[in-house]
Amino acid sequence: MILEIKNLSKSFGTRKAVENLSLEIPEGSVFGFLGPNGSGKSTTIRMMTDLIRPDEGEVFIQGKSVQKNHHKALGSVGALIEKADFYKHLSAKTNLEMLARMDGIDFSRINYVLDKTGLKNRGEDKVKTYSQGMKQRLGIAQALLSNPKLLILDEPTNGLDPQGMKDVRDLIKDLSSEGITIFISSHLLDEVQKICSHVAMIRLGKLIMTGEVNDLLTEAGVITTEVSVSQLDKAYALLQSIDWVYQTQIVDETLRVSLKKNHISDLVQLLVQNEIQISAVIPRTSLEDLYLSKVGMENIL
Amino acid sequence: MLGLIYNELLVITGRWRSYIGFIGISILMPLILWGFSAGEDSINSEYTSQLSGSFMMVGSIFNSMLATYIIMNAFWIHIPFLVTLAAGDSVAADGASGIFRITLIRSTSRLKILVSKLIATYIYTASLLIFCAFWSLGIGSLVLGVGDLIVIDKGILVLEQGEAWLRMVLGFSLAIIVMWMVATLCFMFSAMTNNSVGPIIGTMFLIIIGYMITAIPLDFFEDIEPFIFVSYFDVWLDAFKDPIPWKSIIKKTSILILHSIVFFKIATVVFIKKDIKT
Repeated sequence: MILEIKNLSKSFGTRKAVENLSLEIPEGSVFGFLGPNGSGKSTTIRMMTDLIRPDEGEVFIQGKSVQKNHHKALGSVGALIEKADFYKHLSAKTNLEMLARMDGIDFSRINYVLDKTGLKNRGEDKVKTYSQGMKQRLGIAQALLSNPKLLILDEPTNGLDPQGMKDVRDLIKDLSSEGITIFISSHLLDEVQKICSHVAMIRLGKLIMTGEVNDLLTEAGVITTEVSVSQLDKAYALLQSIDWVYQTQIVDETLRVSLKKNHISDLVQLLVQNEIQISAVIPRTSLEDLYLSKVGMENIL
Repeated sequence: MLGLIYNELLVITGRWRSYIGFIGISILMPLILWGFSAGEDSINSEYTSQLSGSFMMVGSIFNSMLATYIIMNAFWIHIPFLVTLAAGDSVAADGASGIFRITLIRSTSRLKILVSKLIATYIYTASLLIFCAFWSLGIGSLVLGVGDLIVIDKGILVLEQGEAWLRMVLGFSLAIIVMWMVATLCFMFSAMTNNSVGPIIGTMFLIIIGYMITAIPLDFFEDIEPFIFVSYFDVWLDAFKDPIPWKSIIKKTSILILHSIVFFKIATVVFIKKDIKT
């Protein structure tokens, strides 16, 4: 395991942000860290990177305690915590040079990371002239500066347009193929499903589940079924009261119903019995369904 | 460590607020020097009127040395304020702008980062005073000329030109130690908050309160005076006494340095334990 979180707890006043959280992140994985806003994801990541001191517990990176051996534990880590902030009045290159000086890294690495993140031609420009997407890419560039074995990305696609999100996604896939372990937090389940091999889900600071994405989806057997019906509102109201339906949404004049696979026939039967005509039933499986089956509708992301 | 200090100097020189002191001095000093030059006769007669009963004055006693000695009164309030403009920003600004999210996650320790910030602040502070000396002594010599320095305090002290230069170097050096203490106090407040204005206000508040306490002739205030750091700010004036009171200088600078160490220690404890939430 490249990263181990052991019994991590943190409170702010009387509010428990993270409670007895333990996780193991395998080397070489792309690990998705999921949870709704305020679930404790950022607090956990800040404790992983020693920005916040835990009340209890410890984080180990390659066997070294972040809390007791900051220098050695974080030497092999690159991180982008939330949005990327730099000295705006300085150029991207100068900002990276400052960080390279801190890391004791040769400046030749700067051109490599700028190239890798598609900023090579804008390196001399001041950061204040950058778009949000470019700043985010520069954030990833600074995280890559120390040639990390573990890359921690906290909501890296926040504030990006669809193309920017795809660029970041492609970059993560590319870095993963180079053998870098990536720990990525997000509340965008669809995003995570596209790139992650493993996930952990937390809610109210507590771990709900963790494991390989494929294994979890197979074990849970939860799917989202798209159903096209004649009386949308009537069908929607009807499904609200059914206990084996985890969630119902209306998306583009179609019902999206989250339920276990073996209840699809029950769903069809129920709608027909209530004189609702069905024109299509398309089962789909997603991480979102898995999440909803675990945390319930009140915590829809 | 040198790399970290260089980084911090890059940051300080990149902030417009850091130049307020230099711009202020560059605007005010020519005006002051021009004012001294234009009003030389009246200043000269006012100054020498105190001596005319005992001495026969020939020529002018007014020169860049005396002008600098008068300008040094800015060390009480004005220069400390200019020093706090950079010191207040040194830690708090990085917290407010989210820079700590990319610097404190690296393998460099928080202590090293804090030490580099303090040293950069000290370099800035010393630069400000040297810049002030450059204007008053350097440019001042060109405008007002040089000569002996006559200091009227509890008596009359005439320092010949060569000696006066040395006293000026000593005076400015002691003033740098005073300003370093001011910078460290502001730095400590800066490490406690994510707001640059608070440390500036806090530092100036303590300095002004200190001056008020030392100025009020009440027994109680006189009793607590030794425990107020502002009481030792006048150490630079000792450079212009004869003989130079080295014991007093060593005592006062030791107390000021001790205060600086305590303030930095507090800043370290607070900063190392601080949760970075911004």
